[in-house]
Amino acid sequence: MTAAGGWYVYGVLLAAEATEAIFRDVAGVAGGPVTLVVDGDLAAIASEVPLSEFGEDAILENLRDPGWLEARVRAHERVLAAALHAAPVVPFRFGTIYHDEGHVREMLSAHRGLSTALVRVRGRRELGVKGFLAAVAADAEPATAEDDTSAGRRYLEEKQRARRLAEERDAQRAQWAEEAHARLAAVAEAATANALQPREVSGRDEEMFLNAAYLVATEREREFRAVVAALEAEFGPRGAHYELTGPWPPYNFVEDPA
Amino acid sequence: MTSSSAAAQQDVTLLELVDRVLNKGVVLTGDVTLSVADVDLVYVGLRVLLASVGTLEQLESAPR
Repeated sequence: MTAAGGWYVYGVLLAAEATEAIFRDVAGVAGGPVTLVVDGDLAAIASEVPLSEFGEDAILENLRDPGWLEARVRAHERVLAAALHAAPVVPFRFGTIYHDEGHVREMLSAHRGLSTALVRVRGRRELGVKGFLAAVAADAEPATAEDDTSAGRRYLEEKQRARRLAEERDAQRAQWAEEAHARLAAVAEAATANALQPREVSGRDEEMFLNAAYLVATEREREFRAVVAALEAEFGPRGAHYELTGPWPPYNFVEDPA
Repeated sequence: MTSSSAAAQQDVTLLELVDRVLNKGVVLTGDVTLSVADVDLVYVGLRVLLASVGTLEQLESAPR
């Protein structure tokens, strides 16, 4: 008498390298145990979820609830982090759910290309680097009490100056982004620059100028970190700041297998 | 200020996570799959979450 359930899939491993022991200490997005669904040489990392929470309509409703979302997103990542620790893993996007185990097997057998993706990420992990530029101090208050003509001219001059400054900053940001991305990509197996996030999303005062991910061989991670430190040392005094995150499962480097 | 910047730091990590977990990774059609529009919704939700730990003040006071 179980409630209607689905199978939530986190990602895929090679069956030969996967054991459920990898996931002994982590719970799934719905709190239950994480298991493996095997088909041929592939193993899907999966757990059962109630459709009352993860069904088509329910999940859309739940996505609007930040508390629900945070807990599930963190759970999804914990499961994949456990996998990454043990073996190469191809991460799936959040919210890929099948009605039963049979459908999960069908998915595996229909996407043998996942094996190729697993080979590609072997011995490599994703590192994220974001670059921020310190916020400029607000412009000085314009002087008060002027006659209309000079106030008007002053206003136009101020506007022009502000536009010029903004252009200069844009050019500088683009140049720093290019420079950092080239140096980081040089020690990575693959690199991708993602769209910059506006302040409303980043939640920060600084302006983002780089939002990139790098697929780095594990034996070169130290070297990669040294490049980030060098960038910080060189551009830090000029207002730039670099943030390194990871290692992550290779979210940015798994092309959709045909 | 220390505790609220710690909270902000925590959120940046969550955002970093959401950026990957919801926007990247292999997208296969499951019996239930989220669309791009669904994911956009998440950012709306996330903004609420960021706001709930004090970022809202920054957003509101930030010059536009």
